[in-house]
Amino acid sequence: MNMHDTEDMPPDVDYDEDEPSFSDPEDFVDDIDDEELLGDLLREKPQEADGIDSVIVVDNVPQVGPERLEKLKNVIHKIFSKFGKITNEFYPEGPDGSTKGYIFLEYGAPTQALDAVKNADGYKLDKQHTFRVNVFTDFDKYMNICDEWETPEKQPFKDFGNMRHWMEDPDCRDQYSVIYESGERTAIFNNDPKDPIVAEERARWTETYVRWSPKGTYLATFHQRGIALWGGEKFKQIQRFSHQGVSLIDFSPCERYVVTFSPLMDTKEDPQAIIIWDILTGQKKRGFHCESSAHWPIFKWSHDGKFFARMTQDTLSIYETPSMGLLDKKSLKISGIKDFSWSPGDNIIAFWVPEDKDIPARVTLMQLPSRQEIRVRNLFNVVDCKLHWQRQGDYLCVKVDRTPKGTQGVVTNFEIFRMREKQVPVDVVEMKGDPESKNAFAWEPNGSKFAVLHGESPRINASFYHVKNNGKIELIKMFDKQQANSIFWSPQGQFMVLAGLRSMNGALAFVDTSDCTMMNIAEHYMASDVEWDPTGRYVVTSVSWWSHKVDNAYWLWTFQGRLLQKNNKDRFCQLLWRPRPPTLLPLDAIKAIKKDLKKYSKIFEQKDRLSQSKASKELVDKRRSMMEDYRRYREAALLQHQEQKAARLELRGGVDTDELDSNIDDWEEETIEFFINEEIIPLGE
Amino acid sequence: MKPILLQGHERSITQIKYNREGDLLFTVAKDTVANVWYSVNGERLGTYNGHTGAVWCVDCDWDTKNVLTGSADNSCRLWDCETGKQLAMLNTSSAVRTCGFDFSGNIIMFSTDKQMGYQLKEHSKQINDIQTSVDLTMVITASKDCSSKLFDSTTLDHIKTFKTERPVNSAAISPIMDHVVMGGGQEAMEVTTTSTRIGKFEARFFHAAYEEEFGRVKGHFGPINCVAFHPDGKSYSSGGEDGYTRIHYFDPQYFDFELEA
Repeated sequence: MNMHDTEDMPPDVDYDEDEPSFSDPEDFVDDIDDEELLGDLLREKPQEADGIDSVIVVDNVPQVGPERLEKLKNVIHKIFSKFGKITNEFYPEGPDGSTKGYIFLEYGAPTQALDAVKNADGYKLDKQHTFRVNVFTDFDKYMNICDEWETPEKQPFKDFGNMRHWMEDPDCRDQYSVIYESGERTAIFNNDPKDPIVAEERARWTETYVRWSPKGTYLATFHQRGIALWGGEKFKQIQRFSHQGVSLIDFSPCERYVVTFSPLMDTKEDPQAIIIWDILTGQKKRGFHCESSAHWPIFKWSHDGKFFARMTQDTLSIYETPSMGLLDKKSLKISGIKDFSWSPGDNIIAFWVPEDKDIPARVTLMQLPSRQEIRVRNLFNVVDCKLHWQRQGDYLCVKVDRTPKGTQGVVTNFEIFRMREKQVPVDVVEMKGDPESKNAFAWEPNGSKFAVLHGESPRINASFYHVKNNGKIELIKMFDKQQANSIFWSPQGQFMVLAGLRSMNGALAFVDTSDCTMMNIAEHYMASDVEWDPTGRYVVTSVSWWSHKVDNAYWLWTFQGRLLQKNNKDRFCQLLWRPRPPTLLPLDAIKAIKKDLKKYSKIFEQKDRLSQSKASKELVDKRRSMMEDYRRYREAALLQHQEQKAARLELRGGVDTDELDSNIDDWEEETIEFFINEEIIPLGE
Repeated sequence: MKPILLQGHERSITQIKYNREGDLLFTVAKDTVANVWYSVNGERLGTYNGHTGAVWCVDCDWDTKNVLTGSADNSCRLWDCETGKQLAMLNTSSAVRTCGFDFSGNIIMFSTDKQMGYQLKEHSKQINDIQTSVDLTMVITASKDCSSKLFDSTTLDHIKTFKTERPVNSAAISPIMDHVVMGGGQEAMEVTTTSTRIGKFEARFFHAAYEEEFGRVKGHFGPINCVAFHPDGKSYSSGGEDGYTRIHYFDPQYFDFELEA
């Protein structure tokens, strides 16, 4: 078969001979620049400065002659290829032929260079040579610092007034916040036994709820964009922290830092779920990832705010302030760690680890920052543990649920660690009864007693124990058949309230634990919360709209259980007492005041009596004037009524019905039977 | 004195009314029945039968000759008080909520769900009851907003307010003392808790001039829907959601009681 040469196709008759012109018209002005047309391509154009970010400079490299250069290069390679592939190296040589003592290395990526800086800086090659490693670009930065020093602009001083103003109330009234109208209104009241006095009231002050800072200085409110802190006499806005969708917050005990959590903002590169802020400057100090906020606060603070820690799988990460960096630059690997908590009095962490094959479960007390384990306690056949610190850190109670060998049931023990005694001795208290039921355990603040609720409803028992100095733990008293599911100690100790909240319909028992007597038994039907004031003088029980839709109110009681006030608030949600800062008085000054208490109480009693009689006088005066007004009104109305008498007679055909006895003639006599008793008498067959 | 318990209805009481002289007490309820009782001993006189729907309101003329009832069966009926015979029936387009005789007994008024009279925006939620004082100079309203207010009948000036923490279903003014009585309670839907709250629905007494509560009477097993003073002021009655009507005669201490002023 012959191949044909390429032949031109016969011209198409209908085809227009003239090619269309592809040139721009004469007056065309090109107004599109390369950036617009080819932007994405241009960006990929190699830049002169590319690759500089991956270059490091190593100083204090031994100066060697050419004969030892090869050996030096091998050593350097060995050390530095750990961080990535070295793509380029430069060993500058001096005029005498030996290396100058510093070298340049280039990696494949900037991250490798950073890694090298982080880990090789400070590497001791030998006695005389300790490497100093820096990224090349840093040199540029430091060289370019302006020679002229510009003083930073002075920020105007924002005077928020006396931040402790509420503490100066002449009648020592504590404050509390109330959220009501299902969150629409928030008010701050001064607690007066007669009637609460409004200090501040605002609509939509917060979008969800409020929180006080631990020493009472700030009130935190929640908003979609973040949280705001308010304080001072007029509750001005002190600070604002922007954290979109914030849902939880926590303060450091020293009030220097606040931690916010939002489930919304979290990316791999920029952890934003948890942010720690400096309260005074408003600066964001550090962000962290967070998988779940189920056990808030995720970060637990040491009592002095020097450290904060969190637990993740098999790890305990302890950070220090103000650097916000990991203590000793690394986390602690604690395989199987289940729970930890700080002592409220010292920088000691208690944590526990469950059984692992043949290693028993154990509780460990670790001192920080030394990380020295000051006490370890082995526990056998453990099902679960809960850590309870006493308020001052004097004692730690570990509630251990165990299944003793050979039995099926679960037994509860309380392991009491005596923190103030040498080598921290541990005493054990055995608890009888079913730990499956939700039990409550609470230490007495300022004291050495603790209370336990155990058993199943209706046979719930309340037991009180005293941890004595002689090594014994004594059961002082047990009350049985209590309607209680929660224990509330007064913050000053000695007094407490046993409460049956929510499903137990608000049963309340006020107890004096100095002799374990029931001072009063009362009820606040459907109470959902109990809150002591910071001084331990008053207790508030409340029915929150969040848990029960009617009868929303808060009631004020004395510590002895005498009801003082019932405050109904439409859709009342939450009441929180404002915490007090720790006392400024030294211990001996407090002792002196307690000694002279009689003298002070006389003055106070007199003051109370005066104010009470003033109140009743005020009330009496008020009533008198109300009655006068009312009488006047009634007289005028009756006058008008009399004037209309003629009209009334006419409407009723002349019958005078103004008084019931106006028509005595009309009366009839009637005998009426009264039902007294009913008796059923069966008739005979 | 022990209250007299009237058991004659199978559903909740909607309204109770004394006649002018106070010897008779009329009670109507959701069970379509209207009853009349002797108030002195609680003996039932008789029943007015005929309505086919819940009876919402009742009134008696000044001479105790005629009785008027309004019902959810879209009718307002006139009865002979003594014989119980139905004298007349007025058909309406919707349920009759209130009804009454005028001062002379010659004019009848009623209101239905569709028609409303003069509107007074004094309460923030619906008004459940309005009653006059016995001399017609004052009017008291009872509202779901948990308060009750006293007004002057002629000028409709607001004179007093009485606050509680429960919705108020009914209020009445004492004919002889400066007292008002209020009855109410949670809405039937919200009464979910039982047994522990037996007999805890109370009628509350307020001092009319001081606006202060001074007494409560327990006894009903459900919210109180209607209260009324006997025209002589020596007793009062309350009808409840529980279907019972209770007549209470005051102890002598009630008349001597005074708030310090």
